[in-house]
Amino acid sequence: MFFYQLKNELWKLFGKKRTYIGFSMLLLAQLIIILMLRFYPPAHRGLTHSIEASGFFGAQYISMLTIATIMAFVLAYTLLPLYVALVGGDLVSKEYEDGTLRMILSRPVSRVRLLFLKWLAGVVFSFVLVVSLAAGGLIFSGLMFPITGGSFTQFPDDPTNIGIFPFQEGLQRFLLAHAFMVLKAVTIMSLAFMFSCFNMKPAAAAILALSIILIDRILMEIPFFHDLKEYFLGHYLNAWQTFYFQHLWYWHLVESAAMLCAFSLTFLIIGLAVFQVRDIKS
Amino acid sequence: MISLRNVQKIFGTRPAVENLDLEVSRGEIFGLLGHNGAGKSTAIGMMLGQVWPTAGEIRICSHDVTARRQDALQKVGAIFESPVFYDYLSGWRNLEILSHYTAPTSKKRIAEVIEWVGLTGREKSKVKTYSHGMRARLALAQALLPQPELLILDEPSDGLDPEGIHEMRQTILRLHKEFSLTILLSSHLLNEVEQLCTRIAVLNHGKKVFDGTIATATKNQNWTRLRTSDFELATEKLRGAKFIRDTRDGNLIALNENVGTDEVVRLLVAEKISVFEIAPHQETLEDFYLTLMNKN
Repeated sequence: MFFYQLKNELWKLFGKKRTYIGFSMLLLAQLIIILMLRFYPPAHRGLTHSIEASGFFGAQYISMLTIATIMAFVLAYTLLPLYVALVGGDLVSKEYEDGTLRMILSRPVSRVRLLFLKWLAGVVFSFVLVVSLAAGGLIFSGLMFPITGGSFTQFPDDPTNIGIFPFQEGLQRFLLAHAFMVLKAVTIMSLAFMFSCFNMKPAAAAILALSIILIDRILMEIPFFHDLKEYFLGHYLNAWQTFYFQHLWYWHLVESAAMLCAFSLTFLIIGLAVFQVRDIKS
Repeated sequence: MISLRNVQKIFGTRPAVENLDLEVSRGEIFGLLGHNGAGKSTAIGMMLGQVWPTAGEIRICSHDVTARRQDALQKVGAIFESPVFYDYLSGWRNLEILSHYTAPTSKKRIAEVIEWVGLTGREKSKVKTYSHGMRARLALAQALLPQPELLILDEPSDGLDPEGIHEMRQTILRLHKEFSLTILLSSHLLNEVEQLCTRIAVLNHGKKVFDGTIATATKNQNWTRLRTSDFELATEKLRGAKFIRDTRDGNLIALNENVGTDEVVRLLVAEKISVFEIAPHQETLEDFYLTLMNKN
């Protein structure tokens, strides 16, 4: 019964055309980045320069993994939060706005079960979106750049921090980073989902969630607040990129995974509590 | 089947339903009447556990809706005004989705219900291609899938054309006859309620102002219809003789106690006023409703 209901929530989610906007835009952005890096000489030169200035051979490290990682760094901060927040914000509010929620709640299904099913559908969406980000990155860059070259990562916020790996280890790091990125996507989706359980429009829920993520990021970037970084959500949301550190920072990864799970559950529970006491009217 | 005891709902500081008592017995077609904002939809929302009552007890099929909502709604189907669905999915998929919130439903059962409501052949089309009438049928199908004993219909004819309204009325009667369903019907269409329901309750500003059979509501205990060659003159003479205490609508008179219609006719004929008709007045539900609303 539970799996039937989950399957139905997925039908509802993936049956909508707007759900695919996120996938299409991610792929489009990846395609544009790839084409620019491949055919726009200044971009290609800049990348070669970055690698060679760090003491490595450009020809060896301008590869599928390096390009896919560049795309992951760009898109994980921009389009990924946007689309998971949009879908998370839609999950409850849109059904309320359309009137289908009233139809569902004339059935003997508990509100807790219904919301849990919807949240799980959001988790599945977040997972699929990150998988498509990883797969799209690998496929597009694999078509235009050498597949077996090593992975070179230079962190945008600290250019002296460089991750350099041979192909096999680079691929492992890439996949692990994306697996961890699912936690980031689920947490942002859960935040938007929580707001969508309140009496508000779907767009408002998504905008609120994104605003919180942005404010958190802005505060975190202010140098005077660096001592407080453990108190910012972004500190844990971006832990996926530590998979590209030369030496894995295991404790931070475990701590971040636990924190992101705790944040997601908290958002879910607050959403449940709010939805439980709400009156559902036409 | 439905029992509301002293139910109250307050939104902020505005009372939407006040001290509502309601009993609907098994097998009845019960009408819930009232103007927009009278509290009908709130009352229905509370019956379905969608709106939490501020006070009082609501029982559906003997289960307390607030405490045991799932048990209470196990054998309940509901249709709301302007039925909405997942337009981008097929009718069949919509029925599957909605029915699975009650219990696993076989393909055979879905096909049966689709045939019953007359949607066979269109069940695989997307709902966005359906007409308003087809959506109403789909709404009926989703309500019938869990094999309900109680059907709650909130303005089911809303937005339908006259043929659609007629069809919906016939369907409700058929459902009542074939499946012995108990039906609670909320509607603005007094004519429809009069033709369908055995008992009604009227809400006004959240308060129940009438609860009884249609026969009681439309039975006139005071008014007599009088058609004469000159109604004004006739009522003047009848007042002078202290036969009547009131007149209405240019053709209705209220007789004083112990005055018979034979005496009225005798007097008018003696006064050379032709009498074409004199008979007890049968009120329509509309007359009753409007009088009740004006009184309250």
